[in-house]
Amino acid sequence: MKPTKAKIPTRRAFAERLVEYGEIDKEFVVFESDIGYSTYTHLFGDKYPNRYFNMGIQELNTMDAAAGMASEGRTALVAGYGVFLSMRAIEAVRSFVCYPNLNVKIISSHGGITPAIDGVTHQASEDMAFLTSLPNMKVLAPADTVASRKCVDLVMQTPGPCFVRLMRDPYFDVYTEEDQFRTGGSALLREGGDITIASYGDMVFQALEAAEVLSKEGIEAEVLDLYSVKPIDYSAVRKSIEKTGHLIVAEDHQKRNAAGYDLASYCLREYPVPFGQIGLDDTFAESGDYYALIEKYGLSARHIAEKAKIVAAK
Amino acid sequence: MQQKAENLTFDERVSALVEKAKEVRYHIVDMVYTAQSGHIGGSMSAADIMTALYFDILNINPLEPRWAERDRFVLSKGHACPVLYACLALRGYFSTEHLKTLRQFGSILQGHPISKTPGVDISSGSLGHGFGQSIGIALSGKLAKKDYTVFTVLGNGEIQEGLVWEAAAAADTYKLDNLVAIVDDNRMQNDGFTDGIMPMDPIGKKFEAFNWEVIEIDGHNMRAVLKALEKAESTAGCPVCILARTVKGKGVSLMENQQRFHGKPPTPEEYEIAVREIRGEA
Repeated sequence: MKPTKAKIPTRRAFAERLVEYGEIDKEFVVFESDIGYSTYTHLFGDKYPNRYFNMGIQELNTMDAAAGMASEGRTALVAGYGVFLSMRAIEAVRSFVCYPNLNVKIISSHGGITPAIDGVTHQASEDMAFLTSLPNMKVLAPADTVASRKCVDLVMQTPGPCFVRLMRDPYFDVYTEEDQFRTGGSALLREGGDITIASYGDMVFQALEAAEVLSKEGIEAEVLDLYSVKPIDYSAVRKSIEKTGHLIVAEDHQKRNAAGYDLASYCLREYPVPFGQIGLDDTFAESGDYYALIEKYGLSARHIAEKAKIVAAK
Repeated sequence: MQQKAENLTFDERVSALVEKAKEVRYHIVDMVYTAQSGHIGGSMSAADIMTALYFDILNINPLEPRWAERDRFVLSKGHACPVLYACLALRGYFSTEHLKTLRQFGSILQGHPISKTPGVDISSGSLGHGFGQSIGIALSGKLAKKDYTVFTVLGNGEIQEGLVWEAAAAADTYKLDNLVAIVDDNRMQNDGFTDGIMPMDPIGKKFEAFNWEVIEIDGHNMRAVLKALEKAESTAGCPVCILARTVKGKGVSLMENQQRFHGKPPTPEEYEIAVREIRGEA
């Protein structure tokens, strides 16, 4: 599949589908904390004012209020910046959403370092570590606008807590309306026999670009989109690495405690292969253009390709 | 379902509650002594308020704990769950035999309240979060056009949490007149007297500044407790805070205002003395 330039960011695609879904499910409500225009959930509020609660700038109480609402049997969606939802509100998520296993859907509009120009305080480069640690939580990171729209239906129809990581800016689109998504699923975006590059979210496009570069040098990479970060699709990874014998995990996140560590531990237990990781190397990023940041911090297609050559040679 | 429905006069209701509160206090002391763990002091200070709620005010049905029309109760100061468990058992949600299993492996009575226990609506115990969840429950009641009232009990130490004031602002913004927050102001917290740690006075004025109606009472005067709860329930247009002046460990002289009884069980000798005093045998 060849990516095409995206017209809108995934945060907007998700919110637009959410408005449509408001007609399909007339019971669920949306909470947000004074960033309805950033998350685009104001579109939902414009159409369903009674089911939309702007709680002001109080992410922690917003999460608790959503938990209270969900405890009454009504699905509650909480939209906000990933960094605040995954850290400022994390105790409410753990003890009062995940522990009682409530239908609270947490929508992060600014995932990873995609809020690049906003700087480190607004970048969510540890969100997967926090969220995937929580029992009962499902974590999704759709790569494009089609997948993000479909994630609306998916999380609304998946019982219990879900976290969805979206992106601030438009990058690329790669899926078609026919593609299906499920919790615990993944998508094979490119076939190859020499190395597997597993990725999710914005990094999927760096992985696909890296595969093109590698192909010119005679290395055929298989690219897996692990849009379901938890539960993660071990069987798809296994099937791919049985074929390629090499694995790289590329993510817009700290290297620690996310998909890379998860799959490294899986391989160690079940199917050891030469392994490489792309991610933030125990460092914070900074303000700047997204492409400048991924170049400086080692997340670009070029970095993936270089790492792949080393791993594939092992 | 309520005692007040049994055509009792106000005085008769008060007398019945005063007697019931002794039973509640006995079970608090007995369960914490049996478990050798748990929070007695803050349970005893809230005992009169909780007794008035569970044996008079709350419109609930122990035979149908999740009855949709019921009043909701959230113990935001979740560590005081011995008083909640005593009320639930005496009200018939489960046998008083369970009280002897407090905090033990396999018990339905966890160290802090969880929603799996019959009669407990939500989990709580991490301070401030019960109050925050009460906001969502009250919003849900408004949205579903239900008549229920959400009652929540907070501690005076708990209101040091910033989250409490986030919730207070939200209750004002959404005009949650179906929400009643009772502050069990026993003047103490884990490490000692609140005045020596981080006093939050004037508590009533703080809630008033958030546009809440505030009713200040002696939280151990059952007449005042009952009147305040009835008034709070019928208030329209804004949320209500009942600021209840209480005494930590109330009802057992050797426990009153003693920091040790925030979270420590009594010795065998103290237990004997406490039970005798609660039963009026001292």
